[in-house]
Amino acid sequence: MLLVLLIVVAPIAAGALIFALPRNDRTISRGAGTAVAIATFAMLIAARDAQWSVRWLSRPFEAAFHFGTTPVSFWIALLLALCTACAVATTRVARTRDFVALMLMLEGTMLGLFLARDLLVFALFWDLMLVPVFFGLVGWGEHPATAWRYFIYNFAGGLTLLLATAAFGVIYGSTDVIGRADAHLVGAWAPWIYAGFAFAFLVKAPIWPLHTWMPPTYGGLPSPMVSVVSAVQSKAGLYGFIAIGLALLPDYVREYADPLMVLGAISLIYGAVVALVQNDAKRVVAYSSLSHLGLIIIAVASGNRIALAGAVVYIVAHGLFSAALFMVLGYLEEREGTRSLLRLGGLGWKNPRLAGALCIAALAALGLPGLAGFVGELIILVGVYQAGYVWPVIVALVGIVIASAYMIRLYQDLMNGPEVADVPVRGDLTWLEGLAVAPLLAALVIVGIYPVPLLRL
Amino acid sequence: MTHHLLGVGGTYPLLLALWLLPLAGAVVCWAFGPQLGRLAGWLVAGLVAASFVLAALSWGAATQNAAGMLGANQRLVAWMPGFDFGLLLDPLSLIWTFIITGVGFLIVFYSLGYMEGDGAFARFFAYMSFFVFAMLTLVLSDNFVGLLVGWGLVGLASYFLIGFWFERPSAVAAARKAFVINVVGDAGMMFAIFLIFAKVHSIGFGDAFAAAGTFAPALLFGVCATLTIGAAAKSAQVPLHTWLPDAMEGPTPVSALIHAATMVTAGVYLVARCAPLWNHSPQAQLLVGAVGGVTALIGAVLGTAQWDIKRILAYSTMSQIGYMIMAVGVGAYEGGISLFFTHAFFKAQLFLGAGLVIHALNNEQDVRRMGGLWKRMPFAFWVMLTAVLAITGVPPFSGFFSKDEVIYGDLQFGHPALFAISALTAGITSYYMFRLLFLAFLGEYRGEVEHGHAPGWTMNVPVAILVAPSVAIGGALMSGGESAPWARFFAPQFGAEMAAVAHRPPAISEGMTSVIVFALVIIGFIIAWWRYATTEAKRDAVPRLAGETAHMPVVLTNLFYVDAAIDLVFVRSAQFLGNFFGRMLDPHVLDGAVRDVAFWARWLGAVVRSFQTGLVRAYALILVFGATSFIVYYTFATYGMRH
Repeated sequence: MLLVLLIVVAPIAAGALIFALPRNDRTISRGAGTAVAIATFAMLIAARDAQWSVRWLSRPFEAAFHFGTTPVSFWIALLLALCTACAVATTRVARTRDFVALMLMLEGTMLGLFLARDLLVFALFWDLMLVPVFFGLVGWGEHPATAWRYFIYNFAGGLTLLLATAAFGVIYGSTDVIGRADAHLVGAWAPWIYAGFAFAFLVKAPIWPLHTWMPPTYGGLPSPMVSVVSAVQSKAGLYGFIAIGLALLPDYVREYADPLMVLGAISLIYGAVVALVQNDAKRVVAYSSLSHLGLIIIAVASGNRIALAGAVVYIVAHGLFSAALFMVLGYLEEREGTRSLLRLGGLGWKNPRLAGALCIAALAALGLPGLAGFVGELIILVGVYQAGYVWPVIVALVGIVIASAYMIRLYQDLMNGPEVADVPVRGDLTWLEGLAVAPLLAALVIVGIYPVPLLRL
Repeated sequence: MTHHLLGVGGTYPLLLALWLLPLAGAVVCWAFGPQLGRLAGWLVAGLVAASFVLAALSWGAATQNAAGMLGANQRLVAWMPGFDFGLLLDPLSLIWTFIITGVGFLIVFYSLGYMEGDGAFARFFAYMSFFVFAMLTLVLSDNFVGLLVGWGLVGLASYFLIGFWFERPSAVAAARKAFVINVVGDAGMMFAIFLIFAKVHSIGFGDAFAAAGTFAPALLFGVCATLTIGAAAKSAQVPLHTWLPDAMEGPTPVSALIHAATMVTAGVYLVARCAPLWNHSPQAQLLVGAVGGVTALIGAVLGTAQWDIKRILAYSTMSQIGYMIMAVGVGAYEGGISLFFTHAFFKAQLFLGAGLVIHALNNEQDVRRMGGLWKRMPFAFWVMLTAVLAITGVPPFSGFFSKDEVIYGDLQFGHPALFAISALTAGITSYYMFRLLFLAFLGEYRGEVEHGHAPGWTMNVPVAILVAPSVAIGGALMSGGESAPWARFFAPQFGAEMAAVAHRPPAISEGMTSVIVFALVIIGFIIAWWRYATTEAKRDAVPRLAGETAHMPVVLTNLFYVDAAIDLVFVRSAQFLGNFFGRMLDPHVLDGAVRDVAFWARWLGAVVRSFQTGLVRAYALILVFGATSFIVYYTFATYGMRH
């Protein structure tokens, strides 16, 4: 079905076309970008079970341009389309036209990754999706070194991924294997292939100690882009563990589960305690991401069915709340010119809608029962405990307590307390901004109450 | 003994309405607050009253006992196998529902006057309504996860209302502390859920309780102990109690509803609800009994050293809940619940009475700057006096019957040490409550406020209504042993526990314990009178109180150093680690190797730049170009190979 191909190609083509708009255009590019993202959302729902494939390589191994969602990637792709639509709708940066074009290319390349049913295509889009972010950091970031750091880390990951893919293809004979239940690889080379994949995935998530590119990247990117990157690009590694690690190399995930779990647990606590003392609002969220994704790695390492179902919920939940958090912090920064917790305060009185949006997102992030984050955490840990791992559960619970401390601190330092005299308060959320975060917040509530579709794998 | 089965799958739609009405109120007040104005308060009061009426109409359904199924059920949703959600109304949850909606209605009504003129009037009622909804979720859930959802949401409501005046840094800090400590409790409960689910593959109460006998003793103790963490955090039990006194930063009606009558008793509800688990684990019973007993004593001791009228009441709440937790811990469920029931009335009355005083004195809360108020506010004086007589357990006020059941329960269930602690605590309670009453209402006025607000009828009427149950409900429901209405109401649920101990009466009879406790109460009263109400004490009250302030034992002014210890061991150490990781390890160790790579990349870049445009984006262009030509080359090359 050609619609599947269109899902990947349309955003990239639309991104290229947007360059043809007048240089100083804002409205058209933003409107067109949002429309394209919404269209991909609709097409994804229409093409849920469809696939599209054309032969690519036959030697040295079989490969195909094969696209189509898997049960897990369907939700991540929907999340991506939703986040892109919401983020593009309220983009306000210098050179908006170019930025929106990049955002669409980012969406398209990531859709290519999540829809890829072929390892080689997966590896290809893995590298391609670095490009828009690199441009974003170069053109709109705070420091050019950040762009390089992002690039070096992730390209190193891309390299091991490509090598592992090539080795997999040569040994197995085909890379057209994503989403297939019967394609297991074993043998002397298999652990090394798993290592190549795992390194790439751990860098991307990121997981301690490979995370140091992430805080400056998340801090430096303009908020519309960072909301998509933290919400979805970070999930590429986790999706890789589920769709490639557990599906193709399950023996080795199981064999090396303990080191993976240790890394996940370290990330969980490390990210949480560092988030506790950050004074840059975006870095609080960045380090909290390290902590939250550590939990998903624990779920993957446990290999338990319930934990994996929970991991899917939590992948979506984390995407929703981190996108919402970064967007709201972006609105705040645009108004106040700073995002330092030390300089801001007392904004809640005059900005009830801004405060409310930040509050719901922060509560979802700290795992408030009734919202999506809680469902993911609960089901993951039920499964991890059932799989016989007790200490990671205790570590995760400690992380939940610390999460409540840093998220409440983030909210209160910005919104509560006396008003700070030298920071002007420039108006509450506009209706467009409200409309842009509302779907994310609504989805957090809906998934929190009724996560059933996500659990049905 | 088999506990009644709590089945899933029934239909009782009235429950849905009863549960969701307050949520609707919260949403409406939130969305249309500014437009509603004063109507917001009346709307919430009306909806909470409607919930109360629906609960009363459900009396028959809640107490029906057909085929081993007690109460009424309503299915909600199922997430996945083992995760079934529903509502359950049985005698235990019915009693809580009555207090939440009944006392809740009176306090919401009182707030109409108390909050008048506040800039965020509608927001206040949105939070109050949300709290009622959350608390109903907690007590109506038929499974552990639903309970935990309610548990978390009441914590959130409490957070919002403690920090309601969020321009005050002290209120913001108190709200944060309450929230985080309550999450510690949530985490404990989550662990209990993991233990239970791994064993019975279900989150339902019914499944867990039916299997309680098959749990290994260590596992069952683990479940109960982790549930106890949840109960201790929510119910302000030692050592997780430090948030409750700070929570008095919230408006006084909030203190009355959330931090006295309902939310803080959730721990009592939890233990009573999980009675089948505790009944199988004597060690867990001892643990909870000891936690409750120690809290009762410590709360009372700290209550003697406070000057803020609301903090005195907060420590008294902590102490009274300690009693309740102790009672349900040792197995005296009826006794613990009866104290919850009567305490809800007289403690709400104490807080609302204190609210009348605070409101009249322009937010003065220090009893050292009160005095002689019975002349200015006779109504408030009579309200406080009846409530003090009720809480100290003077017969025939309601507190006498419930406290008697609790203290005698210690002996019945074989815990003489806890009996001694409870009796002693009763004496201290009498001392600090009469101290409060004498300092605030007797002697000469020591403050500066000449003409404060006179409370309106919306404030006086609910307080006056509360006086009736504080005075009489204990005698009406709880006197008469096993034939009392209270005992008959709970017979299907907790009758077996009472029957088990009925045949071996303790060495000291119930009448004798009443006499001992009452003697201690009289002693407490006499000491309070001697220190604060004699003619000399009233004459030089100002210098005497200053002297007492100066000579307060340092252990008491530092609240037994619990706050300081928590701060040092947990807060400071986490911050230290965070700073060490974030400012040392991250930039200087983990990132070091890659920074070198970045350095070389930039060096390489500088070389290339000399040939090129000098724009850093050129590299990115090269990257795209390279990648594209790679794809194009491979596509065509292999296409050629195939043909």
